[in-house]
Amino acid sequence: MHDMTNVGKSHQSDIAPVAKKRWYRGRLSVEVRREIGGWHQAAMLAGSVLMGLILSGCILVAAGVPATSLVQEMLYSTLLDATNLRTVLFQASPLILVGLSAAIAFQVRFWNLGIEGQMIFGGLGATFVSLFDLGPDYARLPLMALAAILAGTAWAVLPTLLKLKLNVNEIISTLLLNYVALDLLFHLVYGAWKDPKDGFPHSALYRASELLPVLASGISSALVIAAFATATLAYLTIWSRAGIYMRFIEANPSVARAVGIPVQRVILVVVLLSGALASLAGFVIVSGQEGRLTQSFFRGYGVSGVLIGFLARNNPIAAAAVAMLMGVLFVAGQNLQVFYSIPQAMVQLIQALIVICVASSDFLIRHRVSWVR
Amino acid sequence: MAWSPSNSHIAVAGPGPVGGVLALHDIDKTFDGFKALQRASFIAEKGQVHALLGENGAGKSTLMNVACGLYGADAGRMLVDGEEVRLSGPRQAADLGIGMVHQHFRLVRPFSVVDNVVLTGQGEVAGKNYRRAVEIAAKAIVHHAAALGRTIDPFQRIDSLPVAEQQLVEVIRALVAGARILIFDEPTALLTDQEADRLLNTLRNLADMGSAVILITHKLTDVKRFADRVTVMRGGRTIASVDPASLSVAELTRMTVGDTAEVDDAGQRHYGRRRLEVIDLACTRADGTHAFSGVNFNVRSGEIYGIAGVSGNGQAELAETLMGLRSPNGGVIQLEDAGESLQNATPDRLRASGAAFVPADRYRYGLASGLPIADNFAIGGVINGHYGSWAWIRRRTMESDAATAVKDFDVQGIRSLNQKAALLSGGNAQKLVIAREFRTSPTIVVAQSPSRGLDVRATLAVHGRLGEARDRGAAVLLLSEDLDEILKLSDRVGVMSAGRLVAEFERPVDRQEIGRAMVAHA
Repeated sequence: MHDMTNVGKSHQSDIAPVAKKRWYRGRLSVEVRREIGGWHQAAMLAGSVLMGLILSGCILVAAGVPATSLVQEMLYSTLLDATNLRTVLFQASPLILVGLSAAIAFQVRFWNLGIEGQMIFGGLGATFVSLFDLGPDYARLPLMALAAILAGTAWAVLPTLLKLKLNVNEIISTLLLNYVALDLLFHLVYGAWKDPKDGFPHSALYRASELLPVLASGISSALVIAAFATATLAYLTIWSRAGIYMRFIEANPSVARAVGIPVQRVILVVVLLSGALASLAGFVIVSGQEGRLTQSFFRGYGVSGVLIGFLARNNPIAAAAVAMLMGVLFVAGQNLQVFYSIPQAMVQLIQALIVICVASSDFLIRHRVSWVR
Repeated sequence: MAWSPSNSHIAVAGPGPVGGVLALHDIDKTFDGFKALQRASFIAEKGQVHALLGENGAGKSTLMNVACGLYGADAGRMLVDGEEVRLSGPRQAADLGIGMVHQHFRLVRPFSVVDNVVLTGQGEVAGKNYRRAVEIAAKAIVHHAAALGRTIDPFQRIDSLPVAEQQLVEVIRALVAGARILIFDEPTALLTDQEADRLLNTLRNLADMGSAVILITHKLTDVKRFADRVTVMRGGRTIASVDPASLSVAELTRMTVGDTAEVDDAGQRHYGRRRLEVIDLACTRADGTHAFSGVNFNVRSGEIYGIAGVSGNGQAELAETLMGLRSPNGGVIQLEDAGESLQNATPDRLRASGAAFVPADRYRYGLASGLPIADNFAIGGVINGHYGSWAWIRRRTMESDAATAVKDFDVQGIRSLNQKAALLSGGNAQKLVIAREFRTSPTIVVAQSPSRGLDVRATLAVHGRLGEARDRGAAVLLLSEDLDEILKLSDRVGVMSAGRLVAEFERPVDRQEIGRAMVAHA
């Protein structure tokens, strides 16, 4: 045998026995990258989003959407149309907050699946201030936000302490505590906090001073909160001492402990911060979108948050970008459903496709794939 | 590519019979611009133990990873039995009879020995159903073990076996898969002296039975005693291939490292106060067994206190306790300078009192392998506020300090400070740990087997640093299973046996007496 190369071996008998260079000689080589630059990484991510969009486009064309109107629907009518852009940003604000919440907890290896429970407590805290008329009008919104943060953060204390002191798996404890929070919510909206006007299971509508104001440009102030949170977290993780501590804990907790990082304290503070961000997301929805405490305002945000945190690889700025992408997909999906009667399932398929493309780009970021001859 | 379609057997250059069962010619390998191998050549013969000798980072492992199909070479030729091959991966290498026993075992720990062998699906067990394969493999395991003069129970779980036997499983697995060219990557690094001797005898047996055995090592004595031939590597190049019997150890040393100077040991010492004192310290392991108890000793300023003992007599747990990684069940650790008496020491409190640690397991307690070299170096300074307050990290200062330290401590193989620490070879990783730990001139140093797995030059550098710390007035505690290391450095020696400090010797100490104390109480 001349050659042990698997590729092309079967062709040898058909080809005249003359030594000649063949492009298919060689093999695929996969090596772990030693280093990768930030721009390279960003380019890979952008490429994978584009790939996802192209694949989605193919599916949509196959489903009967004219190819010419694809760009129109995906790009122009979501980002370049003022109304739709406002919807995107409106949808994105709570997504950014839950994404940040998940990302920061993951950084200290704490799988916070209790985002929804913490959101519920955020909603309860805010509604408590509203129902009991606490504080003057001008201080009402800050008070509601504060109460939301306190309540949601307090809800995160128990699983964190269980994890740190007794080594109880936080995936189980945070997830199950969501059901406890949900039952408390039902107990209140079906009972003491039921709307006295219509008798439906939600709280009374908030007053005007209790709603998050819409800014002059038509953008909800929720976006300002989300942007502020993103900037703060980006600063914390990149430039502060806590950022280095978190990177060490993420990389190797026993090394972190051995070099003298107060690992337990850092985890406690970071998870509580994660709880605070989740409860802030709850506040932003009840006060900025629903205008009251409803029985389902938090639905789906837990999973979205985990997904955003994962896709953003725990990076706060990337989390905001991914949340924005989710907002775009949400609005584009709505438009497609309405104007082209594309079924809901297909919209979800497209969203999932893009997510999978981004997730699989991870492999290319960690490995160098090349053709070796 | 140099192959001829008509007659590949003579396509290989050279007169007469083709040299070697495995031959690598002019192999080049580059990692992101770093030349790991430059025209490296190597020929292994049947029935020989062929040592591949060189310092950490000389390219020994890289070259052998090319041979076993883990890396593709950028250039060069590889021949097995005189036929040119291009490997698509480790599986094809295994099909050709090339097996590698890696430094970190590739075994499924919760599986039994026989299951690990069956998993390869190659050689004697190829194409059989599971039950049949287990039968065959179990027989083959017993057979191969017996042929090597060893015994092993095929149905034991891997994680219940001692390290030396796990390694034997790796060897047998390769043999069952049909390996006749066996590559061992630093096989004695994790073994005690007796175990290492036994393994090397096993390698000798393998060669005598007709295999080609390749031994990657940096231990000159092993080469002298066991190898038929030695190829020396330096800086990614193969320097020479010679018969080790024709050279003295000194000549071999010069070939591998160039010139080295021994640490010159001055006789007179001035000891100061007791900086570190341990009183009645006791500890049990997580599974409830007794690790050590009633341990009393002190380390004075300007002194190196060595703790010797056969591995597994409580030294590892003692080291972890003194580093604050394990809580004792009783007793106290006193730090006189800090005026503290700790019952439950944590790493951050010990470090705040001026202690520095050189752990044995560098990637478990020393370096975060996924983080940049600069971060790994600077983390100590970040914690104590040297690189800025809580709110702001002075990255620029951090990186320039790291660059200086890396130069001062001779950490090699660095192309960028943002490179991951995992990419450093063992010796350089240890130098980086020491650069970090000694940055602040610690008053107490706890070092556990600090030169384990290091080559001659790196070991000398590490020993030099410990000596410097002592001369500066630090109290240095050295725990090591390497008696030579203890004897060379220590001013006083305590001997641990069965979890107790059974004897203490003043300098000058007698090696024989220590040896007797190490085993007398076991």
